[in-house]
Amino acid sequence: MRHVEHVMGTTVSIELGEDRPDDELRRLVTDVCDWLHEVDARFSTYRADSEVSRFGRGELRLEDASADFRHVLEACADLWRDTDGYFDAYAAGALDPSGYVKGWSVEVAAARLRAAGSRDHYINAGGDIRMRGNHPDGGPWRVGIRHPWEADKVSWVLALHDGAVATSGTYERGDHVINPRNGRPAEGLRSVTVVGPDLSVADAYATAALAMGEAGIAWLAKRAADGYDSAVVTDDGRAFSSANLPAAV
Amino acid sequence: MRRSTAAAVGTLTGAALIIGVRLSVTPPEAPAVAAPPAELAGGTPAPKPSSKKPAASGAKTEGAANKDEKKEEKPKSGLKDGVFKGGAAANPYGKIQVSIRVEGGEITDAAATYPTANDSAKINPPAIATLKQSTLEAQNADVAAVSGATYTSESYVKSLQAALDAAKA
Repeated sequence: MRHVEHVMGTTVSIELGEDRPDDELRRLVTDVCDWLHEVDARFSTYRADSEVSRFGRGELRLEDASADFRHVLEACADLWRDTDGYFDAYAAGALDPSGYVKGWSVEVAAARLRAAGSRDHYINAGGDIRMRGNHPDGGPWRVGIRHPWEADKVSWVLALHDGAVATSGTYERGDHVINPRNGRPAEGLRSVTVVGPDLSVADAYATAALAMGEAGIAWLAKRAADGYDSAVVTDDGRAFSSANLPAAV
Repeated sequence: MRRSTAAAVGTLTGAALIIGVRLSVTPPEAPAVAAPPAELAGGTPAPKPSSKKPAASGAKTEGAANKDEKKEEKPKSGLKDGVFKGGAAANPYGKIQVSIRVEGGEITDAAATYPTANDSAKINPPAIATLKQSTLEAQNADVAAVSGATYTSESYVKSLQAALDAAKA
């Protein structure tokens, strides 16, 4: 079963691969969508009544905030350290944890699917994907990485049973990816893809490496030891990938 | 902060080193390998001019690589079989060293090590490849999902993922 949901300012595609009665699959999809809308309501910077907005205005004290909210803040702080400050939830001044929240909310959604008995599924939130199990044909999920200049082509194909793929690029938002270390638009890299066990980490690493510019290539190479592989295209069209990238061809 | 900046600068030099070696050591008879990395064969990327840094450090590396080439003299590709190490470039954490393996006169492997205080990492050479148009075309059809920079609900409509969703709905 496939479902497309507009939420969190992007589009989320959900595919459940297993052969189960339609109403069961529909219930699983509905649960995922409800959760993502809940996350949007609580963490969106565009909603004045979200926990993030209330915290930003000083109306919500940290000790009164939800466990999820405190988890998000802690995770953002950890990632800020792990990325030498290149992943920064305060890059724009005010708190904006969306760079973590999207990946995290999809991780949670996928975990809920598994807890509810789904073995084969993927969730693609605006280009960042968490998958488990098998494609309906019995093989791995084949994930294309969008070609950074040609929207209708892919530059790599990955094959995964269990894992996350996150891509950050300058082609979708123009130069609006900011290097938080100097406040200027990131340059040097056109597209960064990170593959690993956790989507929130993969997403943050991809964002951070993009902000680093070309130095991000070597920084990413070191993340491979922790299970995060990567594929990078520079502004001038050079392509890099780590040795264990699960490339299908 | 200063510490991490130093690391970033060091590794930037390292990344450029690999490219430099690959360009300068590769025999001209092997165009597939020798193609300038900036070129997307047949593509329409309209590549932006790259920053000056890679070119500058690439040029620096050529000197080091040439030194190695002098030692190896074989008629066809000019490359002798074996494993060769480039000159080590120092950075605040240690030395970055590029090595290549030559078999049958062709480079079959290359690697750069980044020894730092605690760990070292490698970027392998299949890695440093130009995007190939034929590969891109071949890879187009058979995927279940597409990863890309975050699209808005509006730009999703134009995405490959949207086409996939439409095809399987």
